[in-house]
Amino acid sequence: MSLFGRFRRKDKTGTVKETAKGAKNEVKSKPVPPVSGGSYVKTAGSVSAAQLPPADLGELLPGAPQNGKINLAIYWAAACGGCDVSLLDTNERILTIGDMANIVMWPIASDGKEHDIAEMEDGEITVSIISGAVRNTENEHMVKLLRKKSKIVVCYGSCACFGGSPALANLVPGGKNEILDYVYKKIPSTASFQADYHPNSPVVPQAKYEAPEGELVLPTLYDTVKTLDQVIDVDYFVPGCPPMQESISHMLKAVADFAYNGVALPPKGTIIGVVTKTLCEQCPRRKEYRRITKIVEPHEIDVDPDLCLMDQGILCLGPATVGGCNARCTKAGQPCRGCYGPTTAVQEQGASALTAIASLFPVLDEDATMEESKVIDIMTTIKDPLGYFYAFTMGKSLIKKSVTEKGGK
Amino acid sequence: MSEFEPRIVAFCCNWCSYAGADGAGVARLQMPTNFRIIRTMCSARVDPEFILRSLAKGADGVIVLGCHPADCHYIGGNYRARRRIALIRLVLEQYGFDPKRLKLEWVSASEGEKFQKTLTDFVNTIKELGPTPLQQEGE
Repeated sequence: MSLFGRFRRKDKTGTVKETAKGAKNEVKSKPVPPVSGGSYVKTAGSVSAAQLPPADLGELLPGAPQNGKINLAIYWAAACGGCDVSLLDTNERILTIGDMANIVMWPIASDGKEHDIAEMEDGEITVSIISGAVRNTENEHMVKLLRKKSKIVVCYGSCACFGGSPALANLVPGGKNEILDYVYKKIPSTASFQADYHPNSPVVPQAKYEAPEGELVLPTLYDTVKTLDQVIDVDYFVPGCPPMQESISHMLKAVADFAYNGVALPPKGTIIGVVTKTLCEQCPRRKEYRRITKIVEPHEIDVDPDLCLMDQGILCLGPATVGGCNARCTKAGQPCRGCYGPTTAVQEQGASALTAIASLFPVLDEDATMEESKVIDIMTTIKDPLGYFYAFTMGKSLIKKSVTEKGGK
Repeated sequence: MSEFEPRIVAFCCNWCSYAGADGAGVARLQMPTNFRIIRTMCSARVDPEFILRSLAKGADGVIVLGCHPADCHYIGGNYRARRRIALIRLVLEQYGFDPKRLKLEWVSASEGEKFQKTLTDFVNTIKELGPTPLQQEGE
């Protein structure tokens, strides 16, 4: 299987449709030539993504493209900014990117504003790279605007692809009101601020404020954090927290190849930088008995540098996470937290991890006669299973939000 | 308003519980009709994803039935299943579901009566709990 896996997408009717290699291309603003398997796709077929060297953009770029520089927009929605920084991981290639593209928007680094984008023609931006989940009205407005103005939208990073850490906010039973109440009134620093300065009525941000100069507006937070492809049509996915340097350079090379040489883009819905098998396939650690009797954190033990982390009692999501990162965490003695998301065969990364890890608890001699409460005792050694197994994929899980039992009659 | 009729998904293992359900039918035991049986080769075949998908699609309860401990056709499948179910129940609890909506029970091939009693009890439990708290999309 190639560097480019397949990805299940949900269309508006809610049915899962698979976008696969050779699937009908649906970029609306611009017809993209059908896939012929660009040269780099073929290269990737024989080597796993992680062993691929970063694509050398320098060979491709003798200067600006003949028909003018392409327009590149980079935007962050609900994200930490790590994805933006990771784009600089392309090292000196960032300079060739400057030769190739006008960066029309990049809130972290350049000066493009919302109205600059709004004034553009539809499809004037060649590529928009969007990181982060969609969490408030501003996120939604901007990503919809960028979709309208862009030929290609790249869903960049785990928050955009799967919801990431921001989507864990979906598990707060009270939704946005509970979150805002906690953040502005209850955490120690704000609680003491409110007590000192606004003892009678705590000051919290309002969505609208009538100033003498006019009305001021703030974005409104949503109750549910959404992934990018739940809000807009997305062409490519680059998972990772943040994505690997190799993935980034291959994505940019695909775009450069397209802009300079007219090489066909990969099929829509492609996940860039993943392999078909799980991380365990790439992990160099030696697997032995793999039975967990006691769960430990990496800092509590001397981590054996060669032995599988599961063998050492460290919960690792490698068995449920798609490979592509070349095991950068497990090589460093840290367990996989699952940022690359599930393999294409499953939808629920958390459920896969849960299945794998629950099976590692050994069958005991007394198992045949054991009380159910004993089993519960064994399994409760895993603290916060929902938060651990769904750390990155809550936005894409089957049940996306916490629920409240109403009680029967 | 008519009485709440729960929709329940019952996963039965091929070797014991499905035969037990068959036995209950052959013996013409009376039981509620709120459950839909899905036959799996083993209770350990029931991936937690199946359970979550059932609930996500609007099931009010899920019951997994397997061979008694030490009776598994595949030696240890039911031991794996009970560990997974215990863990997935913790996950459901964190979501806010009442953990009673997911049940694991052992029913052997000869226990038609136990099958009837287990399902009747489970339907009553779910009736007490009320409809699934999960808001369906579009509601």
